Amino acid sequence: MNARAVYRLSVVLTKSQLRGTRRQRLTAGWFSNPLVIIIVDAMLISALGAGGYFLISKAPADMIAPLEQLDLEILIAIPTVTMFMIILFGILSELSQPVQSTSSDLVNWLPISPSEFVVGSIISVSYTYSFLPSFLLAIGLGPALYFGHSTIFATSTTMGLVALLIGSSAVELLRTLTNRISSSFYRKSGRSGIFLRLSLTILLLVCFQLLFSGRIVVSLMRGLTQAVTAVWYVPVVWPSLAVQTLSAGASLAPFAFGSLSTCFMFALLGLAVYLRKSYWVPVPVSIRLSSQPYRPSGNRLIPGFDNAESAILRKDIRSLLRRREMARFLAIPFVLAVSMWVSAYPFGDKSSASLFAVAVPLFLVPVAVFCSILSMTSIGQEGSAIWILYTAPLRATQLVKAKMALPTIMGAVFTAALLLGMSLLFKPATSIIVDLLMLGLIVVLEESALGIYIGAKFPDFREIIRSRYVSVWGSLLGTILGLLIATLTAAPLLLSELLQMPLPPTIFGIMIGMVVFVVLWRSATRQVKLLMSDIRV
Amino acid sequence: MATVDVKRISKSYGGRQAVSDVSFSLQSREVLGLLGPNGSGKSTIMKTVSGIIKPDSGDIQILGTDVVKQPVEVKKRIGYVPEAPRIYEFLTGVEYLDFVADIHELEKNEKQERISEFLRALDLEGRENDLIHGYSQGMKQKLAIIAALLHRPHLLVLDEPLNALDPRSARIVKDLIHKLRDDGVPTIFSTHVLEIAEAICDRVIIMYEGRIIAEGTTQDLKTKAGSAGSTLEEVFLKLTGTSDTQEIVEALSR
Repeated sequence: MNARAVYRLSVVLTKSQLRGTRRQRLTAGWFSNPLVIIIVDAMLISALGAGGYFLISKAPADMIAPLEQLDLEILIAIPTVTMFMIILFGILSELSQPVQSTSSDLVNWLPISPSEFVVGSIISVSYTYSFLPSFLLAIGLGPALYFGHSTIFATSTTMGLVALLIGSSAVELLRTLTNRISSSFYRKSGRSGIFLRLSLTILLLVCFQLLFSGRIVVSLMRGLTQAVTAVWYVPVVWPSLAVQTLSAGASLAPFAFGSLSTCFMFALLGLAVYLRKSYWVPVPVSIRLSSQPYRPSGNRLIPGFDNAESAILRKDIRSLLRRREMARFLAIPFVLAVSMWVSAYPFGDKSSASLFAVAVPLFLVPVAVFCSILSMTSIGQEGSAIWILYTAPLRATQLVKAKMALPTIMGAVFTAALLLGMSLLFKPATSIIVDLLMLGLIVVLEESALGIYIGAKFPDFREIIRSRYVSVWGSLLGTILGLLIATLTAAPLLLSELLQMPLPPTIFGIMIGMVVFVVLWRSATRQVKLLMSDIRV
Repeated sequence: MATVDVKRISKSYGGRQAVSDVSFSLQSREVLGLLGPNGSGKSTIMKTVSGIIKPDSGDIQILGTDVVKQPVEVKKRIGYVPEAPRIYEFLTGVEYLDFVADIHELEKNEKQERISEFLRALDLEGRENDLIHGYSQGMKQKLAIIAALLHRPHLLVLDEPLNALDPRSARIVKDLIHKLRDDGVPTIFSTHVLEIAEAICDRVIIMYEGRIIAEGTTQDLKTKAGSAGSTLEEVFLKLTGTSDTQEIVEALSR
């Protein structure tokens, strides 16, 4: 193995990871230097470590024992949590990578052996995500020093590093396997394969979101500490077991589990190299969706839409269902609903006033965020293929209408589903359900129009890893405006108990919504016309 | 009346002048070749003529319609193929063509007939239900060419259309360009391959650094360059001041 080639490759792959996701001038410059990762890691450990030490020293006496217990639990959990996090991040990075962006292609034509590539890639992934164990270690450092657990901390650090490499090796394994599966499974399974991939991706993203829910993470950490002993024969818990047995005062077991962990890491590395060598498919897979002879569509999809508008809508639906990097947008409603409902549970009393107070964050916010994101990204997601729309004889109104259709349809379905869920949980009066449904639908229209305006004003056509399809500022502005619009539309309903209104508050909300929608529709049409007059890619 | 009438157009990107004060016209029953080294402004002219980008100044009339003022009307009558076309990779070949035909409001029967005919002619039959993601560059190029021809355009704007095509398909496209020209559908055509320009184009424009440095039939250009017996390649290299190739080859082979 050529060590210099491995080193150069890992540097290039790290730069590719850093620069592939950087968009702004500031981050594209300083933050794209691999050295910045070491600096961030060091800063995290020193700042959080010192802060943690200071806070513990000021903690009340009755808190000391539980804090010491918590610190031990954190130190034990660090290796396993690191491993799972790396695997999740790695999978998400793979999923959000457009098919056009294939940074690992060079291995196919440069004189680099599979083992050199795998080792280089593992080093690169480990280094890029090193902030994860650094963050966890930084949290554990202050208390560890205070309670005199420095040996346990050192062991946790070492095992965290081993776990980092195990996680990176697993990511490399997954890459090869998904590449292979894509090339053989999807070729045969066509549509069903695409549907399966989509469902799995959404499930994965929801799980990922749940992992970031504070409540779930704490119970997971607690459970993990207790569970590692019970499942000592499972290799992924060996690094944590090394720390746990040390904290329990054992002398031989930490060494044994540490050695086993290292052996497991090398075994995974060997397997990754073997799979890469044997199963990597360098050419893009050819997926056949049908063997039927061509039958032209020609049918208008929705009444009121002409052929061109229907064609764009059909194309956008296919884009949402077939592009692996688009699955995250489909996962948004599930992620939003699950995370918000998990944080808000239990919901409190079920009076009409409190129901409306709960409805705004729990119902309108997910609806608004989902619709505006789907809509804001609808123009930028055309990517380099935007020339097709530029050369098409389309009027701005046609494009706005067609692009608005998908977020509106999806938003309406999501609104109905969310409302059904709320009805089952709260069992509100039918009039409240009707009010919320009308309010939800008008917000869907407003957000879809707002999204097209923002998407046309701040498009990002670049096809990179985790493409946003809309600039950072556009996305920020769109989200803030979207939330403001939703609040404005819901205001009459929220304030109905405080203000005397001559008409039902929902009617006021709908009237406000209609005015906002008309203004946004006109602005979106003007902006699309401007965008279509001069290609930006 | 000329099919294309370009008067004194200029276009810059940031501080870089891509096209400077360019004028030319194109008659029906004519194939016009745009030649020039990389970065000479050919693609910018193609995009400007097609209404994809707006010139900073100047006037472009296509079939009597102002491109800047009525781009949609012009786009209905143009067939455009960009250099290295990027096509929606999540669609199948036939879904993409169906999409383009719908955008151009083709009738159902006409659409079916023309798509099937073109797929057969350019050897894409049998692969039309595969996702474009799995297509080779040549197959994507064929799709882009079919998409440009589906709606029976009145003008073709083709930026390096023969790139990556197999010899049979290239021959079909070349013959089709001539047939359409004879039927009154002119073509603006850009290429780096001078033999192709010589074989296809009735008239050529040589561009260099955003300006037209020569215009005429290939014979005219050879005469103007004072080398009537030379190839178009020799004339091109002489006119663009890039004829120092021998020295470069010497240096590289050392």
